[in-house]
Amino acid sequence: MADLRLENVSKRFGDVQVINGVDFEAVHGEFIVFVGPSGCGKSTLLRLITGLEEASSGRVLIGGEDMTGLKPSKRGVAMVFQSYALFPHLTVEDNIGFGLRLAKLPKAEIAERVGEAARILQIEDLLDRKPRQLSGGQRQRVAIGRSIIRDPKVFLFDEPLSNLDAALRVQMRLEIARLHKRLGATMVYVTHDQTEAMTLADRIVVINQGRIEQVGSPIDLYDHPANRFVAGFIGSPAMNFIEVTEQDRRDGISLAAGSLRIELSGRRAAGVAAIGIRPEHAELAGPEDGDFLATIEIVEKLGAESLVHLQHDASDVPLTMRTSPDRRLRAGETVHVRLNKERLHSFGGDGNILNPA
Amino acid sequence: MAEALAPGRPERDFNPWPAVIVICLVCLAVLFLAPTLGVLLSSVKTTREISFGQLWTIPDTLFLGNFAEVITNPAVHRYILNTLLVTLPATAASIALGVFAGYVFSKLPFRGSDVLFLVLVSGMFFPPQVILIPLFRLFNTLDLIDTLWPIIIVHTALGIPICTLLMRNFFATVPNALREAAILEGANEWQVLTRVALPLSLPAIAVLATLQFTWIWNDFLWPLIFTNSDEKRTIMIGIVNLKGQYSVAWGVQGALSLIASIPTLIVFLFFQRYFIKGMTMGAVKG
Repeated sequence: MADLRLENVSKRFGDVQVINGVDFEAVHGEFIVFVGPSGCGKSTLLRLITGLEEASSGRVLIGGEDMTGLKPSKRGVAMVFQSYALFPHLTVEDNIGFGLRLAKLPKAEIAERVGEAARILQIEDLLDRKPRQLSGGQRQRVAIGRSIIRDPKVFLFDEPLSNLDAALRVQMRLEIARLHKRLGATMVYVTHDQTEAMTLADRIVVINQGRIEQVGSPIDLYDHPANRFVAGFIGSPAMNFIEVTEQDRRDGISLAAGSLRIELSGRRAAGVAAIGIRPEHAELAGPEDGDFLATIEIVEKLGAESLVHLQHDASDVPLTMRTSPDRRLRAGETVHVRLNKERLHSFGGDGNILNPA
Repeated sequence: MAEALAPGRPERDFNPWPAVIVICLVCLAVLFLAPTLGVLLSSVKTTREISFGQLWTIPDTLFLGNFAEVITNPAVHRYILNTLLVTLPATAASIALGVFAGYVFSKLPFRGSDVLFLVLVSGMFFPPQVILIPLFRLFNTLDLIDTLWPIIIVHTALGIPICTLLMRNFFATVPNALREAAILEGANEWQVLTRVALPLSLPAIAVLATLQFTWIWNDFLWPLIFTNSDEKRTIMIGIVNLKGQYSVAWGVQGALSLIASIPTLIVFLFFQRYFIKGMTMGAVKG
């Protein structure tokens, strides 16, 4: 049974349609990540699930029950906010037990459950402190503690790591993954950071302009994007796109852009408007087997790999190539580049994929 | 011959502004404190000494008879009681209503709430003289003249705009995520207000409590308009009423003035720590 199900959910603020007929479901124990650019509606979708925003149309089902119109606290969800939203005047203990106190549970039970949550999150020695006395990572743990104590059906995370520095973000990311494994609960996580999305998600939901563009496992989205938006959004550095013109040939098709020619035998003309190639699927080649000549604009040395930005006549946008750091390349150098034809993605004029690689 | 520059601190241009500012502040302080000093000096002198025009001289002996007279005067007890009966409920009511209205305008806006807020706040700009006669006639019709009710009601009403303005602006600084987090935890709006928003708003409430208390306590106009009998007078009218048969009792009035200013001083000292807290809130990254 699905723990969370959205049926044709839409949200409108005045004349602005923010969410457009979203259908989606998450099964029990899944880690779902909503990802998309700023303003795409991913946080709004999360708020529609919590009930902090009411859907203009459609239904929200949690644990098989229709929760549309129900108060947020009655939906069996807990949310970790981007800003943590800890109550500054209360201690960590009172923050975690806030909901239980409101529910007028016996003091002994509250203390026991707060202690259990603190033990899971290893914040037992912080219970007497106020939020201002905590570091960013500790505040994050308290916010998570406040959500797990309620034993919700669905955990919701709204960009919970965006206020942390890079090192702490990696650490907390791992802790959230461990927590998910330990609790086995359904989690919905909103982020615009695709590294978080790729590393945490069982399935990623790519959202753009209030619509779901594609749902799938991280590798599925990476290897088989449904359209140009998903192809460009998933993966860092982003996929390279080259606008091409298509020529029908007897034994296949030919794609042309500047001096670049790509012969695709056995394929029929299908209206290819652009090709996409991941940075790791372009490589340096000799003069005989290179697809095109390019000039190195910048070399970014990242240690384990180097990113080479190439200027070429096939596109105004530099092409990014991932190479071994052992290759000594310099800006201004002219090199031959070969594209892995097996890993080319072809997109039609409407941006949709034509022949998934 | 070339002159060698002497080592040491480089000479800085003389900046006269700090000195000018200090002089101005000292002048202002003297200007404000002089009347208080005058009252203090007159309160510890006999009427005879004051009559001889020795207002600003330091008395040879400390005469506490004026204070004794004031403290033992039953009329003064009544004035203080009446003033408390007006000040406490009017302060509490205006702040409570300002808190409710400020919370709604800040956290639960509705269609037209901005306009309503402007209308409410515009109440601050009506001079008392404009509403004085209509209010007198209204309370006269209601047969409330020479009771404390008109003073309480008018001060509550006049306090609502400033209380609403201040509380609305303060609640706006309380992140919405806190309200939403509390709602997700099962709180209703009343619980959000009382358990989250209000504890965070103590500095604003302290400022309002001090301002309202001082303003209402020290008010002279409304008690003068709405009360006639000595039984219903408040302390500020009482100070004027304390005069001798043939002369003004400067010493006694000075003593009562000082006693009358004690409650506002206590209120200020009590809320002072919240003032400081309020001023430093958000000054450093949390």
